[in-house]
Amino acid sequence: MQAPNLQPVFKLELNHKVTPGVVTIAKYDGTHACLTASAGYDKIIIHHPHGGMISGRAQRSLAHGEVSELNLSQAVIALATGQIKPDCNRDMLLIGSPTQILAYDVHDNSDLFFKEAPDCVNVIIVGYFGKYKDILVIVGGNSSVLALNWEGTELFWNVVSGKVCSMIIFDFDKDGENELLIGCEDSYIRVLKNNQFIMEIAETGPVICLSQISDVRFAYGLGNGTIGIYEEGIRLWRVKSKQNVVSLQWSGENLACCWANGRVDWRDGTGRVQRRVQMRSNAAAMLLADYRTVGVPDLVCISDRGEVLGYPPLQENIGLNKSSKKMASEEDRLAVTELLNKKQALLVELQHYEANVASVNQDQERSLITMPTNTRLQVAVAPDSEEGSLQLAISTNNETIVRVVLILAEGVFESGETLARHPHVGQLKSLLFVPLQPPRDVPVDVHIKALVGYPESEQFHIFELTKQLPRFSMYLMLNPSLVKTKIDSYVTFRITERVQRICIWINQNFLLDEEIELESEDTKELHVSFICLRDKSRLDMDFGVDGQVKFTTHDISLAGELVQSLAIYLNLSDLQVCYIFFYILC
Amino acid sequence: MDYELARIDYTLCGITYPDALRILPSTEHKIQQKFVIGDKNGVLQCLSVIDEEPVVHFKTLPGKPITSVQLASSVGNNTDKIFAASGNEVKGYTKKGKVFLSIETSVSETITSMCVLGSDLILCSGRTVTFYRELQEQYCYVCDDRVLDAIAFAIPNKSRVRILVLIANKEALIIENGKLQNRTHIFAGPTRFTTPQSLHATEICAFYGAVDGSVGIIFCEESEIHSKCLVEGCGLGSVTCVGWYTNNSGTHLAVGRHDGSIQLYLTNPENLKEKPRLKFTYFSGEPVTSVCGGCISTNEPELLVATFSGRIFGLRSSRPTSSINSISGDALATRRSKLEAEVTRLEKQTANEREKYQKTTRSIYGGISAPPLLDIQHELSGATYDGWQEAKITSAVPLDMLFVYCENKLEIQTDNAAVLSTCAPQASNNTELLTTIRCQAGTRRLWLRMRNLSFEDTKMEGTRVLVYILPAGVPRVARLIKFHLPILPHYTKYEPLEIEETKRSWCEVRVSGAFSVAEMTSWLTELLPGELPRPAINVNFARSHSFLETYLICKYQRGSAFFKSDNISTVLILKNFISNCCIKRNIREDILYDVPEDSCVTSFQLIKNKFVSEYRKKKDYDIKKALSSLDLDANTLNEATAPVLCEDYLRIWKISDDNTTETNYDQLVETIEKWYENWFKLSLSGMYCSNEFINLQNALKNCQLDEVEKILDFKHKSLHNNVNN
Repeated sequence: MQAPNLQPVFKLELNHKVTPGVVTIAKYDGTHACLTASAGYDKIIIHHPHGGMISGRAQRSLAHGEVSELNLSQAVIALATGQIKPDCNRDMLLIGSPTQILAYDVHDNSDLFFKEAPDCVNVIIVGYFGKYKDILVIVGGNSSVLALNWEGTELFWNVVSGKVCSMIIFDFDKDGENELLIGCEDSYIRVLKNNQFIMEIAETGPVICLSQISDVRFAYGLGNGTIGIYEEGIRLWRVKSKQNVVSLQWSGENLACCWANGRVDWRDGTGRVQRRVQMRSNAAAMLLADYRTVGVPDLVCISDRGEVLGYPPLQENIGLNKSSKKMASEEDRLAVTELLNKKQALLVELQHYEANVASVNQDQERSLITMPTNTRLQVAVAPDSEEGSLQLAISTNNETIVRVVLILAEGVFESGETLARHPHVGQLKSLLFVPLQPPRDVPVDVHIKALVGYPESEQFHIFELTKQLPRFSMYLMLNPSLVKTKIDSYVTFRITERVQRICIWINQNFLLDEEIELESEDTKELHVSFICLRDKSRLDMDFGVDGQVKFTTHDISLAGELVQSLAIYLNLSDLQVCYIFFYILC
Repeated sequence: MDYELARIDYTLCGITYPDALRILPSTEHKIQQKFVIGDKNGVLQCLSVIDEEPVVHFKTLPGKPITSVQLASSVGNNTDKIFAASGNEVKGYTKKGKVFLSIETSVSETITSMCVLGSDLILCSGRTVTFYRELQEQYCYVCDDRVLDAIAFAIPNKSRVRILVLIANKEALIIENGKLQNRTHIFAGPTRFTTPQSLHATEICAFYGAVDGSVGIIFCEESEIHSKCLVEGCGLGSVTCVGWYTNNSGTHLAVGRHDGSIQLYLTNPENLKEKPRLKFTYFSGEPVTSVCGGCISTNEPELLVATFSGRIFGLRSSRPTSSINSISGDALATRRSKLEAEVTRLEKQTANEREKYQKTTRSIYGGISAPPLLDIQHELSGATYDGWQEAKITSAVPLDMLFVYCENKLEIQTDNAAVLSTCAPQASNNTELLTTIRCQAGTRRLWLRMRNLSFEDTKMEGTRVLVYILPAGVPRVARLIKFHLPILPHYTKYEPLEIEETKRSWCEVRVSGAFSVAEMTSWLTELLPGELPRPAINVNFARSHSFLETYLICKYQRGSAFFKSDNISTVLILKNFISNCCIKRNIREDILYDVPEDSCVTSFQLIKNKFVSEYRKKKDYDIKKALSSLDLDANTLNEATAPVLCEDYLRIWKISDDNTTETNYDQLVETIEKWYENWFKLSLSGMYCSNEFINLQNALKNCQLDEVEKILDFKHKSLHNNVNN
């Protein structure tokens, strides 16, 4: 389908370069919106089309009459604004430099506070969080988040396992209090509530963009070009692009996506593109703001060369002025096009079946396009401890061969999204092994496309199937009789749960040759051992009679993952865990 | 003002080839016109449109694919005769669908394009243009390369006609009476052309659309052919068809492209060479094969379009039209519900067939599943100046994925819309390429650009690239397409043999041995891109390098072959390759070769200007890079009062980013260095001296032309040596 173009409602040039991502819009005098952006290393520009010449530190720009320049002595990494000053409806500007945060009142030309940030500043947001009554300034650093009040006093901080790339404030669990959603470089979206992480959503790339859509939904964008929408922790849809997303905004009934190459598209509830426009250069930011003061926020797109374009929310029926009869017929025409699309696809399919019958009647054997109809594809996953990987065994049940196997999975392969196998002509067999090494302990959906035929075929049949690898598929179960190597590091905790349920958890989360079963109904304890295919390290799990659980491993993150996984499975909201880890310093 | 045209879908047919759609002229009592379309199934149908619903006037039985449809040109009274070409046959139909003519021609390849003028019929097939008069073959002209399109022009007061021909090596020819009259080279590479309707059939003038997406005009002045590019390509795909569309603002050139774009350009009938104005652009999403203007569904002109997959739709003004012939909403709703019913019926039928098919896959009795081959067209171009070879893939059904495999390391690029992902080789020491390309929904065409990373003189075969094409729909089959990248991919341009007479410093190789012409032809296909002449008793042809413009002349017959080139590296590769082929086939061969001492220096002089300009370009680029990292403000720079940069730098600063990123300087340096090395591999005199090689490298780096020439001039040096001795 064609995605028609859209005309902007306003358009202006800042005549300054704009640093991508470091842009905000604020009302410094409480009524008029001003676009504020970083224009190169340490320069901030403020666009004030509604007059109100800003005095003080800001200087009038030579390049543009309605732009003021503000020079700092440090690089500008992040900008944020908000009405943080109590009993004041003016927005304050927050400027993040590599090691400090400055809160500046543009209108009064005064500093609110100045705060050192030893963990670097990557993202700043402003908003109400948790039980705090005041608006907070939340700063995301290289491995932590830090909350400040309007005077720069630190209210809380917490450690995040990775660089913070994006943050939003969002009522995740719908209890009337806001939680903090943190998009991290290590591919997780984390939810912070009352200074505790209550949820971790595993994604497949650095989470560079988060945006609230409604009370229950938020959109996300990854460093690998994926965007999508979550509702209550469940992903509704996602699509992948070659470009990186710069910003996501909910405008009208559509998700507007701004891509790094300057493309902006509007997508409907299922992620299908409705409209698109292309800016003349790469995109720097896209914000929602009522820049025309008409009462409805427009989508304001800013390119890295300082071009600013404003788009109103999309309306379903653009030509309201046209007669309803006309509308109806246009709709019919679109429907006819769509129906002919369908008809064409069906005719092609029918033709294939007809031709198939015809050629079968001619009784061609092993020609260039045939395959026995009773061919089946079988797929099995087996750990390979020598290679330190999983082996995906893909085979047919007859003399046909597996010519090509394409494995599609996200976050599993070092380069790109696929792994392909294409054996040499001399090595064509009906069985093909594909090694897989999931780098992280997350459940992985593996989509397999296998092309099956004869070695000399010109056309192959495609077999497609999806295999889900459990979270801890890279751990191979060991015979319990093997002597235990001594590991001093372990975690212990106590649970009150029957061992039977633990068995189910193990069966679901590990890749086992055969499911583990208890010897009898009365068994009260369980001891299992695994070896990690990645580094051949050992993992012991002991579930004692008294509910005492001990995971012995030298890998602290694995221990954490195991405890998390088990706690979620058993629906435990609170668990006291004791970690004992020894590190040998080399 | 730009037009607003909306799409109205009429009907479906089989896969269509370029220019297989024609609109019949309007008759006296009816303005609305009929149209004819021929498809791959061999069905020719004539339709008209009533209330946006197609009405079939006649329809032939399926047969050989119809590759071209023409209406008789405007001489005489038979303007409504329809001619359809399929295979080597041409059939003539009346507008009632009666066959009044059927000839089986003597052309050996499929007719790809034809032209009818009065009782003259001009057929293009393969590399030949065949001229028929009164159904008698008059002459057949063999061109240097594939013939793309031809138009015949009558000569006033004479019975002869002149034929303007486009051929694939970017040339336009005029043939008269079986003889070449005139030729010109058109850089853009025209693919299709059409004559302006306003002109007489005698004046030679045609608008063309080209491979690079540009549009231009070919005209004849004082019996010389001239061409002029009117509109640049603007990054759009190659032009597949051109046509005319006339409305009340004037006559428009309609252009259909491989990337699915359709454009209308308003021409000036007073001055055709004036740049036409772009009035309308539409993206259909699939390759367009025909565009014609006419009154189809109303009395207002619209643009009728056919696509490769067989969609036929009109682009019509979406303004509320004069109410007389505008369709009522009811009729449209009826049409819609009728189609809905049909689709439902088809869905049921397809589901039944699918069920039947799947049942056979479940039965224990071994049946055979043999869906027909997917309809995929593919084409591989020769290497452009920077070494990329482009493969164009067109499919009738939407594509899901492509998988590309090659044993050699290749560089690969594809459409922006597709996601390319290359995974590591299967074994660690391998150089193979495993790339998957995931297409956007609805993709029916794709280009792939491939470039060999390592060229060795001793390479013994071309590079084979396997492309597996996985469609998005059912049935789930993947077609394998093989591309072959030759060892000397740059020799794409066909040249007349007369180039042998040009004054160049020719290196020669003479091979004699017990090989046949067919064997030699098959060996040379490994070396050279494109099609070679069919084996005959004597084969002679010439090509030129797309970047260096060096020549290669090949002449061979049974038992002996003779090659000539002014590029020493080409000669070395050729010699090594042929001798290897002979060894493989156990043929005893004698190879004699002769390399003139001034070969390198003469060839260098030919590319000297190119070298200097590329050197400057590279220098500019280096400065530009430095300038842009200075982070200069555009506004302060443009102020004339206080110049910040000197004029030279200002000029460089203003060069747009896109033009400067690629220079071929490195490539030229490598070529010249190779020449130097290869000279010592081929010539017996002189010793390779690494010191001198370093001197050469330095001279090239600093663009010291005299120094380079001195080093490459072996004649002078040997004289010098002799004197010393």
